[in-house]
Parts: sequence; structure tokens; C-alpha cells
Amino acid sequence: MAQSTGKAKSGKVPNARKRLRLGLGIMLTLLLVVGGKLFLVQGLDVGGMAEAALNKRMKETVLPAERGSILDANGTVLANSVIRYNVVVDQTVNTKTDKFQRLETVDGKEKLVDVTRDQGISELASALGMATEDVRKAVTGNQRYYIVAKDLKPDVEDRVTKLLVPGVGTEGVSKRVYPNGSVAGGIVGFLQDGTTGQAGIEQTQDGILKGTDGKRLFETGADGLRIPVGMDQLTPPQNGKDVKLTINSDIQYFAQQAIQSQSDKQGAEWGTIVVMDAKTGNLIAMADTNAPDPNDPGRVAAKDRGVRAVTAAYEPGSVEKMITAASAIEEGTSSPLDRFTIPPTYTVDNQTFSDAFTHGTEQRTLAGIIGYSMNTGTVMVGQRLSKEKRHDWLQKFGIGQAPDIGLPAEAAGILTPADQWDDRQQYTVLFGQGVSQSTVQTVRAYQSIANDGVMLQPRLIDGFVNADGTEEKTPVQDSRQVVSKNTAQQMRDILESAVTEGEIKDAAIDGYRVGAKTGTSESPCDDGKPGYCGYTASIVGMAPMDDPRFIVEVILQRPQGNIYGITNGPVFRSVMSQVLRTYNVQPSTGTPARLPQYAK
Amino acid sequence: MSTAAKNFPVVSGSAAPAFRTSPAGAPGGGRKARTPLSVVRSAPAKRRAPFVVLCFALLAVALVTVLVLNISVSTAQYQLVELRSKQSTLTKQNQDLTQQVQNFEAPQNLAAKATALGMVPSTVKGQIDLSTLSVTGKATPAVQGGAVGAIIPPPAVAGLLAVVPPVNAADPAASRKPAGKDPAAAPAAASEGAPGQNPGGPPAQTPAAHAASAPAPGPSVELHGGSIPAPEQKAPGQ
Repeated sequence: MAQSTGKAKSGKVPNARKRLRLGLGIMLTLLLVVGGKLFLVQGLDVGGMAEAALNKRMKETVLPAERGSILDANGTVLANSVIRYNVVVDQTVNTKTDKFQRLETVDGKEKLVDVTRDQGISELASALGMATEDVRKAVTGNQRYYIVAKDLKPDVEDRVTKLLVPGVGTEGVSKRVYPNGSVAGGIVGFLQDGTTGQAGIEQTQDGILKGTDGKRLFETGADGLRIPVGMDQLTPPQNGKDVKLTINSDIQYFAQQAIQSQSDKQGAEWGTIVVMDAKTGNLIAMADTNAPDPNDPGRVAAKDRGVRAVTAAYEPGSVEKMITAASAIEEGTSSPLDRFTIPPTYTVDNQTFSDAFTHGTEQRTLAGIIGYSMNTGTVMVGQRLSKEKRHDWLQKFGIGQAPDIGLPAEAAGILTPADQWDDRQQYTVLFGQGVSQSTVQTVRAYQSIANDGVMLQPRLIDGFVNADGTEEKTPVQDSRQVVSKNTAQQMRDILESAVTEGEIKDAAIDGYRVGAKTGTSESPCDDGKPGYCGYTASIVGMAPMDDPRFIVEVILQRPQGNIYGITNGPVFRSVMSQVLRTYNVQPSTGTPARLPQYAK
Repeated sequence: MSTAAKNFPVVSGSAAPAFRTSPAGAPGGGRKARTPLSVVRSAPAKRRAPFVVLCFALLAVALVTVLVLNISVSTAQYQLVELRSKQSTLTKQNQDLTQQVQNFEAPQNLAAKATALGMVPSTVKGQIDLSTLSVTGKATPAVQGGAVGAIIPPPAVAGLLAVVPPVNAADPAASRKPAGKDPAAAPAAASEGAPGQNPGGPPAQTPAAHAASAPAPGPSVELHGGSIPAPEQKAPGQ
């Protein structure tokens, strides 16, 4: 009290007041400055400080989507993704650690045991099944990240983790596995770098199989731990859908083995077998010789890695005579028992045609021309139609039109317009020379005869299986009536007679009525050489003829020696009977068609 | 009290002139007369002790509850971690086994195995139509050593057996049976002919030998080389 009264008495009261006000003013100004800055930083975020800070805290991790499987018609897995592990090492840590401790059970008690680096390396080597020196080399150095071993199975990874070797860790990777190997290997295809499809279904259905990666956005503190109250955005990954094929892997295996055996025996360049369900257009097997194993596609030559049933277009030969006969019947210019007088060779427009066998002048029926595969007779039948009509009929049977079954590089074949045909080609197309098509195109043409004249587009992809197990069927492409039901029936009788009365008796199967047609065509040389190099031998047929269910075609490209289409008869028979038995097809009823081959 | 009264004016007005300060020790003469104080009898404070005890008890209970909650949460966490790792192990195992099955199921491996067992593919088949009772086709027996087809290479899946190993001819099912089972089930299982249950002793072949060996230590649980089973923790919910 004494001081305060003293001050008051000193006479500086107005000064003090001023000073107080001044101080207050300074304070308020500073407060204003600080407040303003606070407003700028917090309210307006000039300079993007808050954003920068958030960006610094924000971490994003990618949640990878699982790639879908590829299944066959019965759900057998043809391709799926599994977890595999890579063993990685921080070389700096391992190199400088001479000794480490590990909890081990000694005499029934757990205790810490000292382990030397050498011992750790040798243990790691034995777990990985590698040489100790290789492992030592891999873990020594100054790289922070080095892959010691790749694609380990979970049990090996477990052993490696338990060794607790310093610096050594494991990381999971997704690995594509093809449990059936080369069975349907070309159809399934394979991946490039384990991520992107490079061949087959893996390539064409890549987008559907792949799915969409998810991500997680979250804030972390300076210590790298997640801030519990911070932002946490989760976009779950959309796993890829499974692709279900129409292939039956058992039939596929059987066909693959059959064509491989036949190709090896005949020394052919390649061979193909196609099996199709005539009622649905489903492709049940597309077997190739030397099919690739997608687990290791590099083992076979690059040219063998595709599916030749759709990629290879070649001159089909006599199997095309079916189209000539069917069009003649449909146009009303001929009928199965129509009579033809056939000379040893036949000349029209200065073009001479001969047959594969020598004969005198014969009286034949149309059935006999097809049953003995006579070029002369086929030209006589076909020339009753105009050039344009012949072209249009080939086109109606799908020649020149690529099938769309979801495989890469599907060939459309070559069907030259009628006005560009030369004098000889206008007749050779009648028996399958001067026109090219793939095996699936031939099978499709025969399918329309088997299915009462209605052509169904071949299907390979049956549907897509969602994550919840529901299945989306792929839409069925438009079908079209190529010939009338009556024409189809007459054509089937001709094909059956070729087996019962004609030259293709090898194709007969006990208990089932079979119709078939062989083809032996000259094969133009590859790489631009003139002339022909060898033959393409084929046989295509259907069974059971009372209600055709399956089409099988066997192709052998450039077999050695004098090989004709009929040489493939036993292969056709074994594949067809296997298919009929697998699908429990009832043995045939009714009387087999036996159209006379010679006109009386 | 008196000092406070004495200082009061000074404190309230520090800027007031000094001469107006009241003389020290003078009480406010102009004040109103106070209401005379009287002694109020208060309620006896006899019920306080139980309340304090209650408070402490509540506190203790709260603490214990928190402690128990904490312990249970952390135990659950440990359990969660353990179950997670178990789940991932089982997932791995499942994947591994699925792959093995797929490998065995691959047509080429199946065919190789069938060949190894001496089976040959049949060539000509016959059919019996049950509705018409007709037999079509001439089924002929398959011939051993007939034409062998081309061999399709087995799938080259890394880490899986390239060639299917020969099956243990003795009893392939036994090796796959789980070792530990209810001891009461052991004799029954043994009579069914599962020697895998009795790894040490000779396999029980006749019922008589089985009866003799049944009371003998037929260890149905893993003893790790000892003779007394290890104590087992009761699983929850049992």
C-alpha cells in the first residue's frame, strides 16, 4: 500500500496511463496480426499448407484384384491364381550381422540360442534347396533389396520365415497356375510378366479376368503408424470374373493324344481335331499337336502356341463336296439318286478333271459321287449352278466368314468373289480347291446339315461366373437357316451312305449310325514357293445319324507318304466313340441309309 | 477482520487522494445493526462412514471392471491375432492341397498313373440298351501291351511333382488318416482294419489278436515318445 501511494505521489500518473494504453495497443495489433495469419492459414489456406500436410500424411496402398479362373464345361480349373512367395534380402543387414539369436526348443525347454551367420546361410540354403555358396553370394553385398528365390510354395516360405535369418524376408506374389498343363493349353493361353494375357482366352478376355484394383487411403503419423481418427477411405477391389468354356477337358485330352499319336505316326507337320455339339454349337474339344503348356509356353515353337482349328486356313479339299451337293439339292438341280454318266476324265471349258482313283465310264448316283469322292462327278453336279450361285452357296455355308468364338487371330479363310475366279477355279471350288477355310468353318458347315439346316455359330465361351457364384451366359449369336430340313435330311443320308456303302467304311462305329466325308487336298507351299507341297488329309463326320449330336473333324497337314483322308478314319472313330460314350448317347435306332452308289 | 476493514477503502481506490483515507481502526459506524447470531443445531454426522466406504467400493469396482475389460480385450486381441495367423496358415494349406489334387486330376497324370498300375485303354466298346434289351457293338477285352498313344507331357507347375509318385500299395487311406482321435474309437477303428492307428505295434489282423492288443497301449494320441499323454486344455464351449 505504501508503494502504490508513493507512486501516486510521484506525479507520473498520466504517463502510466499512456503506457498502459500503448501496451494494450501493441498487444491488440499483434493479436490482430496473429489472428489474421491464423485466419489465412486455417480459414483460407493460402499457399496450400493444409493440403501439403495432408498429402504428407496420406498414404495409399493398392489392394490388388484377384484374377479370375478359367474353367472347363464341368468346372475343372484350367487356369487360376495362387499365392507364391519370393525370398528377399536386405544385404546390408545380413552382411554386417555375424551372429543372431533365435528361440529354439532344447531338451524340451525354449531358450534363446546364438546362431552364426554361416549357420544361418546354410540353413537357408537347405530350406530353399539351393547351393550354400549361391545363397551366400545372394545375401552378401550392399543392396537393400535383392531377390534370393522366387515362386516358393507356402510350406517353404513357412520354413524360411522360421529361420529368422537377419535381413531375409518373404513377400507374397500372385502366380498363375495351369493345373492341366498342355491339355487345352493353346485355348487357355498364357500371361506376359504374370499380369497381362498374351495368348488365347487369357488375352481376349483379359479385361474380364483382370477385375479392378481397389485402394485404401489413410493418414499416417511421423512414426509411420496409422492415425486412428484420421481419414480412411477404402475402395474394395473388384475381383475378376471366372471364364467358363464349353471345352470338356477329358475329351480334349483324348483328342489331343489321338491327334498327337496320329501326327507322330504319319510324320505330319501338324494336326487338329475339333469336336462340336451339333445341337448348341458348343466346341467340346479343339485339339492341336504340340500344344503349349501355359506354365512354360517357351517349350514349344512359337507357331505351335495358337489354336490351329481357328487360326489355320487351308484348302479343305473334298469335304467341300457336301456344300456342292447340298446346294444342288436345295436348288432342285439334283437329288441323291440322280443319275450321272461319268467318264474317266471330264473336260469342261478346256479344263480337265480327274479322280483320285482310275475308273472307266461309270453310271453313278449323286450319293455315289460323294461316297467315292469323285471330282469329275462333283464338277458335273456343280456346273448346273451359275458361278454366282456357287459363290453364294459357299458364302451361305459360312466360307469366308470368320467364326467369333473369342480366340485371337481367327481366320476367315479366302473366298474370292465369283467374277475373279479363273476358268479352273470356278470348278475347283466345288471340290474344295482354290478356296480356303479353317477347321471350325468346315465343322460349322457340317453342323448346319446335322442340325436340320440351321447353322448355329460355334461357341467356346459358355459364360462368366461372378464372385457370388452366379453365372452369366454369353448371348447366343444369331442362327440362320441355310438349307431346308428336307435337304439336310437328304444330305445326311448321302453322308451316311458314304460310310455304309461308299469308301469311308473305316469311320463306322458299332451301335451308332455315322455319316462322314473325307478330304484330301493338295496343300500349297508355304513361304511363297510355287506349286504344292504335300497334302492335307481330313475326315469330318457326325453321329448318331438318327438325331445327330456331335461333329468330329480330324485334320492332318502334310503327312509323309501316300496318305488320304481315309487314313484318319480310325482316329475319327476312336474320338467319336469316346465322345458318344462320355455323353451317354443312346445307341442308334432305325435303319441306316444305304443309298446305291451306282445307278442301275 | 479488523485489518481487512481497515484496508478496504485503500484497496478499492488506489487512485483516490490519500487524505480521504479513513483513520485506522475505525469500524463503519453507519452500518446497519446485524441480525444477532444464534447457534443452529446441525444434524449429527453419523452416516458419513458408510458413504465413504461405498465410494471407495465403487471406485474399486470401477477399477477392477476396467482392469477386467482391459484384460479381456487384450486376450481377445491375442486370440484374434492367433486366429488370423491360423486362418492364413489354413488358407495356404488349403491352396496347397487343392493344387495337389488338381495336379493328380490332370488327365495326363491320371493316364500315367493308370498305366503305371497296369491299366490299358479299351478300344472297342459295346452298348446295352435297357429299353430294348439289345446289345450293339462287339466289346473286346483290352490288350496289354497294345499300341500306346503319344504321351502328353505332364503340367509343368513349379513345385509340384512332375511324375505322379507310385501309391503306397499297402493302404493308401491309412497314411491320410488323422493321428489323434478319441481313444474310445481306437479299438473300433482297429477292427475296421486301419493299422495306421497303431503305428508302434503289429497291425491287428485277427479279432483275437485285436482283442489282446486292445487293452495294450495302443496309443491313439501323439505321445512324442513318452508314455503319458500331455494335459490338454479344454476347448471353449465344451
